[in-house]
Amino acid sequence: MDLEEEAYNIIKRHKEGVFQNVIWKELDIDSRKCSRIIKKLLDKDLIIREVGVSNGARTYLLKAKEEVKEKYDLLLAGALFSACTGCTGDCQPEYCGRLSEWIGSLIQEAERSEETSEISADIEDAEETSEISADIEDAEEA
Amino acid sequence: MVDVHDKVIRGYLMSLVGEEGLQMIENMPEGEVTDEEIAAKTGVLLNTVRRTLFILYENKFAICRRERDSNSGWLTYLWRLDFSDIEHQLMREKKKLLRNLKTRLEFEEDNVFYTCPQGCVRLLFDEATETEFLCPMCGEDLAFYDNSHFIEVLKKRVDALSSV
Repeated sequence: MDLEEEAYNIIKRHKEGVFQNVIWKELDIDSRKCSRIIKKLLDKDLIIREVGVSNGARTYLLKAKEEVKEKYDLLLAGALFSACTGCTGDCQPEYCGRLSEWIGSLIQEAERSEETSEISADIEDAEETSEISADIEDAEEA
Repeated sequence: MVDVHDKVIRGYLMSLVGEEGLQMIENMPEGEVTDEEIAAKTGVLLNTVRRTLFILYENKFAICRRERDSNSGWLTYLWRLDFSDIEHQLMREKKKLLRNLKTRLEFEEDNVFYTCPQGCVRLLFDEATETEFLCPMCGEDLAFYDNSHFIEVLKKRVDALSSV
C-alpha cells in the first residue's frame, strides 16, 4: 500500500474529519511530503479540505468525500427530497402537509427495507435448508 | 459543472426549480449568456427561464453581470451558472429540515391524537373532546390514532441527521 492510499484510509477512518498534522505524524513522514500527498487526493476529488486549528497550530481538517455525499442522502425520503426546500409557505412543522407527506414517504421506505430484509432472510433460510438437505443426501449416499 | 444525475443534487434542484428548470440547467450554454439566448438554446419558455434564473440567483447558483449598450443606453443582463457552493447550500437545507423535524417530533411525542376512519381529519385530544369525538366533516366516530410507528421512524431520521 503506497502512502497516498494509506493517507486516504486514515482520512476515511475519521468520519468527523482528521487534521493534516495528525496524518504526517501517523505516517512518519515530513509535513512537506504529506502536503504533496494531500494535494494529489484533492486533485482526484477524493477528499475535501477545510482550514482548522489543532492545539493552537493552523492546519487543515480533511474529510473523505464519499462521507460528505452520504450524509446528504438523509435529505431524501424515498425519491422525495426535503419538504422544506423551496417552500415559501408559513412554516408550521407541527401541521405542515408537505412535511407529513415527506415523513409518510420515510415510513414507506422503512417498511420496504423491512420487507427486503425479510425476503433476503427467507432466501438465506431456504439456501441453508437446501444445503442441509444436500449434506443429508451426501451422507446417505456415503 | 454539477452532476445533475446524482440523486441528491437532482432532487435538490428539482425542488428548487422544477422539471423545466432542471431541463434549462442541463442544457445551459457555456459562458455568459442572456436569458433570451438560454430560452432559444434550451427550448424552455422565456418566462420559465427568468423564473429559474431568479431562484438560482437567490440561492447563489447564478451569477449576473449588467452591461450597458453605449449607443442605445439599454442594459443587457448576462448570466452564468456556478454550482461550486452547492455543498454549503445542502448543509443549510439539512439544518432547516432537521430543525423542523425536531419540532414535529416533539409535537408528536407530547400530544394524543384522534383520527377520522374516513381520513378526513386528525385532531388533538382537546379538539376531539370539543367535537364530542365525532368527525367535524363527516360525523363519523373518531378513533385513537397510534403514532408510535410514526415517532419511531421520525426519531431514527432525526438521530441520523444530528449525527452527521
